[in-house]
Amino acid sequence: MTKDIQFESPSFTRRIKGMLGVDLYRLFHTPLFYIFLAIAAIIPAMVSAMTMMPDQSGNTMEPLYSNVWQIIAASKSLYVIETIADYANMNMVFIFGGIMVSIFIGHDYKSGYVKQLFTTHAKKQDYMISKSLVCALAMACMCITYLIGGTVAGLLVGYETDVSVGSLLVAIFGKIILSLGWASLYTFLNVIFRRYFGISVVSSFFFGTGILIIGAAAIVETLGLPVGFLNVFLYGASVNANLSSGIGSLLICLGVSVAWAVIYNVAGTRLLNKCDVY
Amino acid sequence: MNAIEIHNLSKSFRGMYAVDHLCMTVPQGAIYGFIGENGSGKSTTEKLICGHLVPDSGEIKLFGRDYTDPGVRMRVGALIENAGCFPGSSVYQNLMMQCINLGIDNPDEEIHRVLEIVRMEEHASLKFKSCSLGMKQRIGIAMALLGSPALLILDEPINGLDTDGMRIMREILVDITKTYGCTVLISSHILGELEKIATHYGIIRQGRMIMELSAQEMDARAQVFTSLRVADMAGAKAVLSKQYADVREEDGYIRIYDVDDTAAIVDYLMKNGHAVNEISKNKIGLEEYYVELMSKKEVR
Repeated sequence: MTKDIQFESPSFTRRIKGMLGVDLYRLFHTPLFYIFLAIAAIIPAMVSAMTMMPDQSGNTMEPLYSNVWQIIAASKSLYVIETIADYANMNMVFIFGGIMVSIFIGHDYKSGYVKQLFTTHAKKQDYMISKSLVCALAMACMCITYLIGGTVAGLLVGYETDVSVGSLLVAIFGKIILSLGWASLYTFLNVIFRRYFGISVVSSFFFGTGILIIGAAAIVETLGLPVGFLNVFLYGASVNANLSSGIGSLLICLGVSVAWAVIYNVAGTRLLNKCDVY
Repeated sequence: MNAIEIHNLSKSFRGMYAVDHLCMTVPQGAIYGFIGENGSGKSTTEKLICGHLVPDSGEIKLFGRDYTDPGVRMRVGALIENAGCFPGSSVYQNLMMQCINLGIDNPDEEIHRVLEIVRMEEHASLKFKSCSLGMKQRIGIAMALLGSPALLILDEPINGLDTDGMRIMREILVDITKTYGCTVLISSHILGELEKIATHYGIIRQGRMIMELSAQEMDARAQVFTSLRVADMAGAKAVLSKQYADVREEDGYIRIYDVDDTAAIVDYLMKNGHAVNEISKNKIGLEEYYVELMSKKEVR
């Protein structure tokens, strides 16, 4: 005689809670997250220190930055890079963040744990949403350690500290908010290249550098057209959150981040529904 | 109610059918032995049931519901190919993650329950990568058992286990079906072991289900035979062939198929001047039955 089995359909909240719980547990119980937090803190310090080292003739090199907060964000919206200082700021977190996301999601597939997730979660959107949110949190934490590392390094080197506090806050929070969009992009890329870990890492790095937007901006500027529309892209919005930004930039960051997160999550879910997952 | 009902399920890779219009019925509470050669489509079928692969066509129902129903899938436990654990995490941490995934209220208690079932309580703190193959298989079973699944899908779970490990696994599977009413779909190449626990069988060949039968039906189909040895094998065989329909000389024995009345055989041979040195009743097991079935060109 067989037992009568009841099947209770779990709510969306319960499903997401389960998947998020696993990803958060993994994030905080494995060294990967802490290593990348450390990298995010060390990178600005290294960039600052290296540019203050004397050259071969013994003369001190021209400092990369003149102000502590340039380590966090550029002085103005510069889509085409003029100096390395325009590029080497908190936006670099999104490059390292991409690598972290690739390793984090790659481990799911390499270990085979993804089979457990997809066996018990029939809705593929659970996977996309959970990975995007958890990786966004990880990248937001990396932004904070970058901020701490960059500030401490800048102060130790003796850079100026004059800044518009409002713009600085917009730049910091704008980039933190953009973590969601970036994390969703990387999750999507890793779902596309789920069987090829190396390609996942390279593609995340490629998109993280913003090279496509930099190239597009160069063409647009050469043609003498306005470059403001580039703010609808993640890299454009990241550049737009700078030390001369107003509250409008923060709203752009929020809108762009959420919009791209939705687009990438929908696209990733459709892909997982149509393709073999393991 | 059937735990699994599959109709016309197909899955192809690069134009080649791995599963070809497969039909399958697994009754609730059964231990269903899923048998087939390498590459016959067993693992592909199991992956399709678990939602790892997207079918080309066909229908999969689990407990009367579509297999994409989140409620029913939450109650499926699977061990396919490997345990699916993070090597750098401990056994406990891996099980904890699955408990969180399933939303189990008392994860610590549940972990100890499943570790006790698979006889791994003492190894909870061990890193997964440090475990032996047999231990990894048992951890995989433990992962699948979390949350008391209604359906357990196990792909070659006894691979790599020693004799004692196989016995433990056998006891575990029988115990969980009896205690929790769990249905088990198990594929294995070790047919002798499968025969000891399976209540139903499904035989797959080139992606098609060629036969489904219960253990009782299997038992009824299994041919009985009497094997014997005498001094003059050729003479005795000739004599026996006059009396019995199917007499063969195999592996140094004379085998008389579909006859198990040893007393009558001995008596008949004695009357014809042949003294019997050795005689025994036998039955064709699952393995021999399977080999015979596979050797046939056309199977209906």
